[in-house]
Amino acid sequence: MAVTSETVADAMYAMIAEYQGKKKLKATDLTKAMIEKFGEAECDRQVCKAAIRTLIDSGKCVYTYFGGSYIELPHAEGAAQG
Amino acid sequence: MTTAAQRKTDIGPPSYEQFLPPVIKQNYGRWKYHEILRPGVMVHVARSGDKLYTVRAASSRLMGIERIRRFADLADKYCGGYLRFTSRHNVEFLLTDQSKIEPLIADLARLGHPVGGMGNAISAIVHTQGWVHCHSAATDASGVVKAVMDDLHEYFVERKLPAKLRVALACCLNMCGAVHCSDIAILGVHRRPPRVQGGLKRICEIPNVIASCPTAAIRPATVNGEPTVEIDEANCMFCANCFSVCPALPLADPLNDGISIWVGGKVSNARSEPTFSKLAIPFIPNNPPRWPEVVTSIRRIVEVWAKGARPFERMGEFIERIGWPRFFQEAGIEFRKEHIDDYRYAGLSYKRSAQLRH
Amino acid sequence: MAQSGNNGTPLLDELEKGPWPSFVTQIKEQAAKNAMCKDLLALLERSYREKVGHWKHGGIVGVLGYGGGVIGRYNDLPEEYPHIAHFHTMRVNMPSGWFYTSASLRTICDIWERHGSGLTNMHGSTGDIILLGTTTDQLEPAFRELTEAGFDLGGSGSAVRTPSCCVGPARCEWACYDTLHLTNDLTHTFQDELHRPAFPYKFKFKCSGCPNDCVAAIARADMSIIGTWRDDIKIDQAEVRAAAQAGLDIHRDVCARCPTQCMEWDGNTLAIDDANCVKCMHCINAMPKALAPGDDRGATILLGSKAPIVQGAQLSAVLVPFVKLEPPYRELKDLVQRIWDFWCENGKNRERVGELVQRVGLGNFLEAIGVEPLPEMLAYPRDNPYVFYEEYLEAEGDEGAAEPAAQ
Ligand code: SF4
Ligand code: SF4
Ligand code: SF4
Repeated sequence: MAVTSETVADAMYAMIAEYQGKKKLKATDLTKAMIEKFGEAECDRQVCKAAIRTLIDSGKCVYTYFGGSYIELPHAEGAAQG
Repeated sequence: MTTAAQRKTDIGPPSYEQFLPPVIKQNYGRWKYHEILRPGVMVHVARSGDKLYTVRAASSRLMGIERIRRFADLADKYCGGYLRFTSRHNVEFLLTDQSKIEPLIADLARLGHPVGGMGNAISAIVHTQGWVHCHSAATDASGVVKAVMDDLHEYFVERKLPAKLRVALACCLNMCGAVHCSDIAILGVHRRPPRVQGGLKRICEIPNVIASCPTAAIRPATVNGEPTVEIDEANCMFCANCFSVCPALPLADPLNDGISIWVGGKVSNARSEPTFSKLAIPFIPNNPPRWPEVVTSIRRIVEVWAKGARPFERMGEFIERIGWPRFFQEAGIEFRKEHIDDYRYAGLSYKRSAQLRH
Repeated sequence: MAQSGNNGTPLLDELEKGPWPSFVTQIKEQAAKNAMCKDLLALLERSYREKVGHWKHGGIVGVLGYGGGVIGRYNDLPEEYPHIAHFHTMRVNMPSGWFYTSASLRTICDIWERHGSGLTNMHGSTGDIILLGTTTDQLEPAFRELTEAGFDLGGSGSAVRTPSCCVGPARCEWACYDTLHLTNDLTHTFQDELHRPAFPYKFKFKCSGCPNDCVAAIARADMSIIGTWRDDIKIDQAEVRAAAQAGLDIHRDVCARCPTQCMEWDGNTLAIDDANCVKCMHCINAMPKALAPGDDRGATILLGSKAPIVQGAQLSAVLVPFVKLEPPYRELKDLVQRIWDFWCENGKNRERVGELVQRVGLGNFLEAIGVEPLPEMLAYPRDNPYVFYEEYLEAEGDEGAAEPAAQ
């Protein structure tokens, strides 16, 4: 694999930031987008998995739940409070 | 935190092996047969000749730590500290000394835990959270269960039913308890379409909301210049899928929420194949604290079955034999348009033969 | 401030009457020393009065690094019920088979006394220990103490959910494989998939040791692993006669209830045509001393059951008619991985595996995961003649419209 999980994490972060408030992204959405972006030869699911873990463990992104699990930028607690 | 210990993750559950009593460890996978000695008490006999006695007691599922500590005390007193829970929220004490059964049962009785739920009996009702803790509940769970089990108590502590009776409750169609294959399923239902809250766009993604509806009843709309959604009320069947993905679409409504009752499902493969429960009573309004209409309806269904079923016949097998029209008649249930399916594959549930009882 | 305490809960008090254990008594017992439970009692009384719940969606609370195991909960009247403004649930992965020692239960109780409401469910619907109600700031400390004590969180969200199993070989003579070992092994193998939601929606495993299916695997698990056997039912004829003597009507209640009518009883000997036995368990249940599953034991793997949300309820359907289940369960785990790969690639948002199979068709699904189609997978072959053939034959020099659009 030519791309590192850090590179993929950065690209994912950019994508999440771009879509924040417009579309919630799931792990599968991010993975598909990254494989498309970097190409199958460069990027696979394992790299994407590691990238997501980097984003979450560093606190740059968080998992959220709205009838399904999404990955978003951290926002104030109780976002579900209508 | 005071400790500087390394934060642990992904350790998974503790191994069950450390929680197995010695008699189980020694006879693991080498049990020969079992026998129910009296309601709620059974013995498993191993090939080695060792015997394991199980005493099964009801719990309220929602329990405080004080009560769990009392169970731990009883396990220490009678079972060398070993106990387990069943998939239906019962607690089971695992004994090797037969002489301790009576005193254990007496202690459980003092704590208010009836012993039973084995063999041809009703076991505890598996259920969900209801008003105690759930955002989409159409009814309470624990309260309905308490009222129904108070009434059916005799069928828990005795073995006088034709077969086992499995009852389950879910407080909405989400069915955290997947109750849909029970002899009797008590299911909370909403009956009023979601009310679109202002500012929906700020907390929910409109395409997601639209896609969440199985009947395509949600359309994009504009209100006061702001994009939002509207509900095509005629197409809404109150499943709450939209509410699960978007909190700005609440359905709960005191006048229209209530309980439906479904019968004749099973998961066991014994005799007939596993099957879904079918609709018996479309709607009973919520009537807390004790839901008397639900309690009487269920008792009536249980009694029709208990009286008419042959040995080993589960609720669904009994109804299949006597036919649904007769079941409705005997259980005093009014047949309504709502009993007729109108979702996918509905036609498969139509009677497609001339084999009728007249 | 919310009213509670003496006579503050006339409706709930009604639920302290009667012989069945009362959850209201349990909440009251905790309310005596925990302010959260006091508010909970008052809020629940209000729900009983108004006939409507007062809880809002969760959202984003959790412990660092995990995408599941905590269900966020907030009440919609936080000013009136401040102690349960946050009232989050922690799901703790139970030991396989729900076996405990008194010491392990006390450990959990002590942790929950320090960090939560003191209320629990033993257990939740999926099987986890449910620690009911705490505040956001207590989640990390509680998690740290739980892991120190050897417990971890269970699953929630679009992830592997906490696998569960029947009591199996620990206490049941009918277990056809080691349900506890497999459940524990799968849970540990798939820790990452359990804690870090990476699927279109949830995925549940349930393991029942025999076709009695005591954990309702066929109705409640995306992958239902149900023990069975391939050889002959073991018969102890003396015990059959003893059962008859004890009053069991073997002809009426056993033979006549056999779904394939493959048994005969002449008053002295029970004969079973095992080639026609479908391993339903009825006769064995009826005579546990006389009959037992055979020795060539394994499991049937079924796929796809689920509750109604989103597209309607389903029961699991046969995927592998028979498999031997021995550690390290390579074959099974490879199969699971192929299913997940296809699902992650093709599943829509909130689409369970069973719904995906319905949408793409079982035939196409099998092809995609590399499993041979077998007649055992069907109740009956199609009765609808609209067959999609993927290819057709062409005569030499045929000028039909079958040219591929692009070479
Ligand atoms: S409740 Fe169900 S049917 Fe009604 S609008 Fe919402 S998703 Fe559609
Ligand atoms: S599913 Fe079968 S093996 Fe498991 S506990 Fe039930 S009867 Fe025993
Ligand atoms: S297990 Fe079921 S199918 Fe097999 S012989 Fe017994 S009753 Fe018949």
